[in-house]
Amino acid sequence: MTRFRRQLLIGSFLLSLVSVLAVMVHWRFNRTLPNYAYLTGWVLFAAMTLLAVYNARKKIPFLPLGSSEAWMQIHVYAGFFTVVPFLIHLNFHVPAGWFEGTLAWLYVLVTASGIAGLILSRVLPRRLSTRGGEVIYEKIPAIRHDLRLQAEALALGAETKSPVIAEFYARQLSVFFAGPKNFWRHLLESRQPLNAVIVELEELRRYLNDQERAVLEKLAQLARRKDGLDYHHALQTALKLWLFIHVPLTYSLMIFSLVHIVLVYAFSGGAR
Amino acid sequence: MSEQLPAPDFDSQNYERPNQKWICGHAAEGKPCRPGPSARGRCQATFECAPVLEKKEGEPKGRWRCTRPGGACETGPLPDGTCCRPIPKCSPLPTLRTRRGQFTLAVVTATVAALLILLGSPPLRTKFINPGELSTPHSSDAFAKRARSNQVDQTCGACHKAGALGPSGMTAAAFHASPGPLEIIKLAQARTAEMTAIDESCQRCHTGHVFHQPNVVRDISCSFCHAEHNGAGPIAATTDAHCGFCHGEADVMAAASLKGTTFPPDVFHVARGQNVFQAARPPGGFTNILARFAEHPEFRVHADKLRDSNTLKFNHALHVAGETIPKLPGGRGLDCAFCHQPEAAGVYFQRIRFENHCQVCHSLQFDPETPGLTLPHGNPEFVSAFLHSLPRQYADLAARSGMTRTEEQQRFAREKLERLQARVTTGEDLERRVFFSTATDGPETRLGSVSGGTHSLYPGCAYCHEVKSGAQHKAEITRPILFERWLPRGEFTHAKHSGVACAQCHPAATSKDTGDIILPTQRSCVSCHSASGGVSDSCATCHTYHKSPSARR
Repeated sequence: MTRFRRQLLIGSFLLSLVSVLAVMVHWRFNRTLPNYAYLTGWVLFAAMTLLAVYNARKKIPFLPLGSSEAWMQIHVYAGFFTVVPFLIHLNFHVPAGWFEGTLAWLYVLVTASGIAGLILSRVLPRRLSTRGGEVIYEKIPAIRHDLRLQAEALALGAETKSPVIAEFYARQLSVFFAGPKNFWRHLLESRQPLNAVIVELEELRRYLNDQERAVLEKLAQLARRKDGLDYHHALQTALKLWLFIHVPLTYSLMIFSLVHIVLVYAFSGGAR
Repeated sequence: MSEQLPAPDFDSQNYERPNQKWICGHAAEGKPCRPGPSARGRCQATFECAPVLEKKEGEPKGRWRCTRPGGACETGPLPDGTCCRPIPKCSPLPTLRTRRGQFTLAVVTATVAALLILLGSPPLRTKFINPGELSTPHSSDAFAKRARSNQVDQTCGACHKAGALGPSGMTAAAFHASPGPLEIIKLAQARTAEMTAIDESCQRCHTGHVFHQPNVVRDISCSFCHAEHNGAGPIAATTDAHCGFCHGEADVMAAASLKGTTFPPDVFHVARGQNVFQAARPPGGFTNILARFAEHPEFRVHADKLRDSNTLKFNHALHVAGETIPKLPGGRGLDCAFCHQPEAAGVYFQRIRFENHCQVCHSLQFDPETPGLTLPHGNPEFVSAFLHSLPRQYADLAARSGMTRTEEQQRFAREKLERLQARVTTGEDLERRVFFSTATDGPETRLGSVSGGTHSLYPGCAYCHEVKSGAQHKAEITRPILFERWLPRGEFTHAKHSGVACAQCHPAATSKDTGDIILPTQRSCVSCHSASGGVSDSCATCHTYHKSPSARR
């Protein structure tokens, strides 16, 4: 059994155990425990705070607060667990008010984006490793620029002297090499965009002499590299982009939660 | 591999640091400047090197030496010591991490701004923080009017003091609440359903926290049972769990039972302005611990085999199923609905009245030959006076029959009296018969407006009433008390049971004695009011928690 599978097994078991315990506690005490909604709210808020602190933990790696991997595991399983106190706190009802509805939707969006991020971070790296080498995301623009320069040198350079290739490059390939392309198709693992470029290059072959064909072959190789680079760009962007939803909405969720706490106490039976 | 990335000839020595906030604008071209942008995202590019002035001994000026990394440039520094190769300026770009931070900051700012706007504006705040629509009674114009008259806010502030406050006021209110946000231990130790400050708001309109029994051992917060903000319509119904909060706890019930012994029995009586049948309170009070209606004890009228104390003699079986009962005018047979007619609301039945329900058969015709002359009902004194003025009564009857001449009327009266005197010996004998006779038959088959096979001569008051001989042998009739409410602690709506035949619940066909209380048994009710019966069996289906206003003492 791999370490990952062992972690998954233990984590899932603990998550199930704690969730079942929480539901049992709910059934036993929901009608008898005083201020039950307040207590479940605090449990939920504590769990959400623990989840939110993970981001802060990443910013202070020098403190001996456990490994980042351990924190990540806690973040994932605690995140799943919060669904139970969330539903209990809502008493399994959809909130009717605007404020509480917004708060609930924020929770749903944060949780859903977290789950989406977890799935992406499990699936996409495996896909990335099957195509090309390791590409640092921050270097992609420079690599793209380099590929573009190489392609332009081949197609438009003085050595080639092929008006057909130069015209084809200017008409078809320049746009392809100019920037990131086919984001969604790469996410969907479609090879159609690359095949389309290759087919066009192949169709051009019949009009070229041997020297030009050699250049065309190099251009095709560069196109494949560019497509691979776009693939990396698309998948790595997706890997990073979900955080643009998860992190900002987490802050909004925490702000709304704090206001919610103030409101429920201000409007509680004991408010004076 | 043809797609090997990056290309082998790509300069990978230029290490990228994703944690940096800004990257050089030339990085996308693969030519970032070495100094890179400042921490605040400003281009720091100046020259490729910072020339160093080298002086040898004896040289007054010295020489500027190029310090360019990777080797000195061909041209070398300018005479004034400036590098000859300026780095083109760029517009530094934020890293993805910085962009995320900026976006997060924008979202946070928007969130805070939206909250401040929505919480700061009273009309917006009221709509925004309302956790759910109020019940109809608490959102009606009548409530607003009541709130105005009680000098309270007509919005959230009518119930919540913080409802009239802004963000800072609400924050202060939150921290002054008991328990407050920082009092988790106190929160956990609080007693369920205990009275809180908000109950004072309820009591501004609902004056007095009136409980259903005086021996309740703990005060219950209004909001424990009556949860608001659950939508329009009546306020959320009280559930069995609310009742079980006390009635499911043995120690609470024991304490209530003990407390009940300290009160005189009459404080537990329920008075509703009607004739209410009062069963004696059981020694332990009504403090049973129930989980379901099926466990409800038998109604006290049956459990204690109580009898109707009404002195009126009435045979339900005879009237409902008796073969000798004549048809009513119009050919209608006598049934339950003839006497038991629902009130306008359909909850209870109208009071049984002699004139409306009995007189059609029991016309009080004392002279078999004179259907038109009947005794008055309701007062023995009037009856006695009537009998003492019989000549006048017969003459009046003659006048009503169309005899206009006085002589004719007097002759009619005289003839009637002569025939009557043939049946009775004296006037006293007639009066005694009228009051005390219980005879059940006579020579006539037609009385009043009904005709049947039975001989139902007016037998005398004692046929139906308890008649006693009082002072100077005057007849005294015990006034009958027809109870209108038999289960004073249980609400019942006949209208909701209109689909059920009367006989299914009330065994009238077998009851021959007025003392029989022909209420349905608990088992009879459970047959429908249970999970298997499919009809609600919650406590609140029959019982109300609060005393009715008339029952408050």
